[in-house]
Amino acid sequence: MSQTMDPNNMPFLSEASVSVEIETEDMTLNIGPQHPSTHGVLRLVAKVNGEKISSVEPVLGYMHRGYEKLAEVRTYPQVTTLVNRIDWVSGFANEIPFIAGAEKLMEIEVPERAQYIRLILTEMARISSHFVFNGAFPLEIGALTPIFLAMEDRERVLDLLESVTGGRFHPNFNRIGGVKPVAGAGPTTKKDIQDLPAGFYHDTKVAMEKVLKAVDTFEDLIGGNEVFQARTKKVGILTKEVAEEYGVSGPILRASGVEFDLRKQSDYLPYDKFDFEIPIGENGDCFDRWSVRTSEMRESAKIILQAIEDMPSGPIQAKVPKVIKVPKGQTYVRAENPKGEMGYYIISEGGLGPYRLKIRTASFSNISILPIMLEGALLPDLIAIMGSLDFVLGDVDR
Amino acid sequence: MKSGERKTLNQSDQNEFINSIQSSFKNTSYNFDTLKINVDISSWIDTHKILKKDFNLSFFNWLSAVDWDNEVKTGDAPKEPVTPSFEILSCLSQTNSNNLVISSTVISKENAEIESLVDVFAGANWHEREACEMFGINFLNHPNLTKLYLPDDYEGNPLLKSFELISREVKPWPGDVDVEGMPEESIVVEEKGS
Repeated sequence: MSQTMDPNNMPFLSEASVSVEIETEDMTLNIGPQHPSTHGVLRLVAKVNGEKISSVEPVLGYMHRGYEKLAEVRTYPQVTTLVNRIDWVSGFANEIPFIAGAEKLMEIEVPERAQYIRLILTEMARISSHFVFNGAFPLEIGALTPIFLAMEDRERVLDLLESVTGGRFHPNFNRIGGVKPVAGAGPTTKKDIQDLPAGFYHDTKVAMEKVLKAVDTFEDLIGGNEVFQARTKKVGILTKEVAEEYGVSGPILRASGVEFDLRKQSDYLPYDKFDFEIPIGENGDCFDRWSVRTSEMRESAKIILQAIEDMPSGPIQAKVPKVIKVPKGQTYVRAENPKGEMGYYIISEGGLGPYRLKIRTASFSNISILPIMLEGALLPDLIAIMGSLDFVLGDVDR
Repeated sequence: MKSGERKTLNQSDQNEFINSIQSSFKNTSYNFDTLKINVDISSWIDTHKILKKDFNLSFFNWLSAVDWDNEVKTGDAPKEPVTPSFEILSCLSQTNSNNLVISSTVISKENAEIESLVDVFAGANWHEREACEMFGINFLNHPNLTKLYLPDDYEGNPLLKSFELISREVKPWPGDVDVEGMPEESIVVEEKGS
């Protein structure tokens, strides 16, 4: 970085003022639903006065597929196919809280090896999701290079996910009571059936070292970039109080200085066996949201490296009845997904499928603060703020 | 070792929290690690104010509804008969622990309206709009109770149990049938048999 400019005393674009005062009228600007920076089909109806936004009204529903209704006519094992498609950037992570909820209602103890496999693949989903963010966010605010690096490195992680589950985006890999054995892995009567492909540990180690290197590169290439800093520092500041009131979770909440991570607080997967930090931000601006996610990739890689070191042996599937019937009961199970807290409130009436399934997704609550964050912001900052929230429309509309 | 200690500490904190909730509210249940408070519709707002202020449950998680009915057009009907009604559920949690509370209240189907939570938790806004369009529940004093997902001219409330899933009527769900062979396979089997 050049020594001529101190990043802390830089003239920020958001503070730049227009020197000529011209009388302007409010104009309604329609952004989206097909706009590259909307990550899908989000539509914003913005009232702008010159470059300043006076109010924004997000219009949702272009991706609404009615999963809560569809879940009511499916059996429990069939629902995992649906929930894969909620946040398609990290499909694997979506399955975990639903499966954990059904297992809780059925009172099934999941074998340790299956839990480790779930944990490793969930962290891989997190890394691949944050790779997409590290490519897309700089791209939206004008940096073209990172996306090529990010997509190449993400592919390595997706290859690993594919080698285990058979799917890059929609693994559909979790079964109630365990995980799916690898196709063609041999008879399941053997004591240690083959659940991970040959060479998985070695390939994972290589890939994770590449991830750690990529994070260093990103911190230098993106975080050290003066233009990136000028576009993101002190832009879109979100306070802790507003975030909590709107249910904003995940890296966005942590960037606002709240040290809350369900991987530390809850026990849906055995995260307590591993050493890892929770990165938090100080200012709650776009830069912090980027930096929290990027540091998280490093921690996820560390978790995976630890997990493959002490991977327990044993079965990958608990004993379950042939026809899955979940006894009557209600439970809410939540998990720390790459985008924030995802949870399922399952109401079972003892049938083959749920009577009602409430799906709590992270992006829905996360973008509900857009009207507040964008009020008074500059139009170019709108792209930076939206990009830093890292939402997926499938996760908003369900 | 360190992490093990932290966990037991959390556990005792959580038990203390559950006890304090159970002593403050009359009708509570704790099943499958989910703490649920059942309150009367008249104390819906006050309950949330108390939970937010006295119990530090400042994180608004979600709000939704359940349509309880014996006659259902989609899915399975409840095994034991229920009183037809709407159950409103809200979920609040803390951001320094795993403590979480589900509040529940029951409203009648004939008079499906309830006071809006927006004044207590601004984040309830979109959740209530969703519950309104999906179930036809009216949230009183809501600032902007318009459709969230559905088109403005959409008629009906899709998440009601009486709302048919038309695609299912036209073509039955193939997943209803237990594993069966592909058409080609079954032809082969027939040939072998004959």
